[in-house]
Amino acid sequence: MPEAMALNVKTSDREASTSARSLADPRRASRVVLAIFLAPALLVYCGLTAYPAFRTIFDSFFTIEGVEASFVGLANYRELVADETFWIAVRNTLIWSFVAPVLDVATGLLLALALYAGVPFARFLRVAWFTPVLLSYVVVAILWMWIFNYDWGVLNVMLRAVGLDSLAASWLGDPNLALASVIVTHAWKWAGFNMVVCLAAIHSLPREVLEASELDNCGWGEKLRYIIVPMLRPTLLSLYILAFIGKMKIFDLVWIMTQGGPLWATETVSTYVYKRAFNWNTFDLGYPSAIATVWFLVVCASVVILNRLLGTKERLEY
Amino acid sequence: MGLRAIGLAVLTAASLSSAGFALAQEKQITMWSNWPDEPAKKDWVSARVKEFEANNKQCSVKLSFIPKADIYTQAKSAVRTGQAPDIFYMEPDQPEFLAGGFLEPLDSYVDLANLEDWAKPAWSSKGKVYGVPVEAYTVELYYNKDLVKKVGVDVPASFQLTQAQFLDLVKKGAAAGITPVSQGVGDRPFPGGQLLFESLLRKLGSDDYAKLLNGELSFKDPRVVEVMNWVKQLVDAGAYPKSFATLKLGESHFYFYNTPGALTFPDPSWFTGRAFAEPEKGGMPANFPLGIMKFPAMDKGDCPQCKTLAIGGSFVMFSKSKNKDCAGAMLKSMATPENGTKWIGEVSLQSGLKSDQDKIVSPRKDYFAELNARNKDAKYFFGTPLLYYRAKCADTYVQVMNNAFPAGLLSVQEAAEKMDGACLKK
Repeated sequence: MPEAMALNVKTSDREASTSARSLADPRRASRVVLAIFLAPALLVYCGLTAYPAFRTIFDSFFTIEGVEASFVGLANYRELVADETFWIAVRNTLIWSFVAPVLDVATGLLLALALYAGVPFARFLRVAWFTPVLLSYVVVAILWMWIFNYDWGVLNVMLRAVGLDSLAASWLGDPNLALASVIVTHAWKWAGFNMVVCLAAIHSLPREVLEASELDNCGWGEKLRYIIVPMLRPTLLSLYILAFIGKMKIFDLVWIMTQGGPLWATETVSTYVYKRAFNWNTFDLGYPSAIATVWFLVVCASVVILNRLLGTKERLEY
Repeated sequence: MGLRAIGLAVLTAASLSSAGFALAQEKQITMWSNWPDEPAKKDWVSARVKEFEANNKQCSVKLSFIPKADIYTQAKSAVRTGQAPDIFYMEPDQPEFLAGGFLEPLDSYVDLANLEDWAKPAWSSKGKVYGVPVEAYTVELYYNKDLVKKVGVDVPASFQLTQAQFLDLVKKGAAAGITPVSQGVGDRPFPGGQLLFESLLRKLGSDDYAKLLNGELSFKDPRVVEVMNWVKQLVDAGAYPKSFATLKLGESHFYFYNTPGALTFPDPSWFTGRAFAEPEKGGMPANFPLGIMKFPAMDKGDCPQCKTLAIGGSFVMFSKSKNKDCAGAMLKSMATPENGTKWIGEVSLQSGLKSDQDKIVSPRKDYFAELNARNKDAKYFFGTPLLYYRAKCADTYVQVMNNAFPAGLLSVQEAAEKMDGACLKK
């Protein structure tokens, strides 16, 4: 009996110890424990991400008028192919997605280099350049709508002050300028974020490599081209892909500044989805769901392709 | 038996007391109104709610003032999920709410005899009325008497310039460095089309204009092209502000009667909502030389005396409201001739509620006299373009006629092709 008791005690000790280890190491945790810990996050994910996504795909096969829904198969997708405004929105969104990130990252890198090189008032400039990141899109949009105002906007006032009256323009009212104007506004807002990331990356570069380049009489230009930018490549790529994904969904700034106008010149896929869902005197969510579904797939595919194209398997050794 | 009797008595007492409690319990209804930035209208709505609460102790109203675009967006989401307020602001240009079954017919709640006969059709469907049409308006051409005189134009006794005279006014204004027409489309989908469409109405007459708005008449019709050519001339002569694309409605008011000042301001007669606010709240200066002229008469126009009349701000009841008794009582108390009279006096704007002209008390009697004089021989056409246009056609109107064409970004032919492509029924 005592032996049996000792065995029981040892067994229960072992179980307790296994249980403690399983809690400490999730890889050893039982499925019940895993389920308990994952359930809250899974519930939130399912309720706020997965369900809306699947529901959007589901709705895209229906026409929904008020509370009535009728199955239309692929009709919404067929209509989409022939929708001129959709293709304008796609073109504009692709311009946003491929061009604007270059501007964002390049501006951030230049600002970071300026700080790294020790420009006067660097501390003040670091804060000043980062401040727009903290502003909401509404504030930024209104601020730049004032800057772009034809009559009294600071941009045109400055142009007129230096005798360049002919260059003064209705920046947001001209279809040839509106998209570029909104892209510049967006770059201004996010330059500070890219600057901070680039600056951190520059500071983490190995000093011996930079010093070696200086010993080899490498000038600033060469150092930037052959040393700094190549070593920052992973950071810059990450920033570009992040910016790319953000731009594929761009909405807020465009909606506040131009609502997609003039003449659809700044229409993006997101603003078009919103218009079709809320501004077209209809309650039909089927067609906008079809646009959202197509664009969801395009964004996913683009990110995979970009990762493949721009990513590198070569690891830098230093 | 004794126990059973006692049990029944307890049950009855409990039922009665809970019923009494429910009766005594105050019901709160929610109400969304537009006009957060129009003090006179805001005050009128607030006063109606206070009066209702004072006379109906069992009902209280949670009133919110929300900008129009936001109300529409929020209401579109809210009705889908059954979360809409009991009463909300709506205009007849959002027919999808009625078509979707989200509005409650008001016939059994509101005394329909208190609504103007011409206002009811805007909210009628299948013999039922679905909205309380508080606000009605005509599309007017306001002008600055002093500035117009200063540029050398005399407004005739008919208060209606010809096509050529209006073009001359625009040219003289532009030459004097004064913006001829204060107008912007920064936050509204309609203002840029007002001058063109009011002119088309006067050129085509009511019947053909209705055909145009219903997609049964082409924008390439020679009469339409003729009017568009004339508007293009105005645009090219510098009629609109250079900041036209971003100028908001509220800002265009300020532009007209404060800085920098403009000769004319085409605006529905809800003009007064902003203009008659205190000057320090962005209203019109007390001594502003406001005049109202008629939109220009078109050469060989079919109907120079035509003008647009429309129903604006109205209140509707959500069909799935759980407090229809209180909501109905609220709308009933709002829809009375007394309130129509107060609306006209306090807001200085027409109403779809019946009113007693003799009892109107208004510090703006002169304005009213002038407005009534301009409307005296008017032949009304009901509804602005966006009341007729739907979906792609409406979007094209917003982008082309409201924005690009008056901004000088499109030729007459391009604009006509785009409108026909989206609106003309094949």
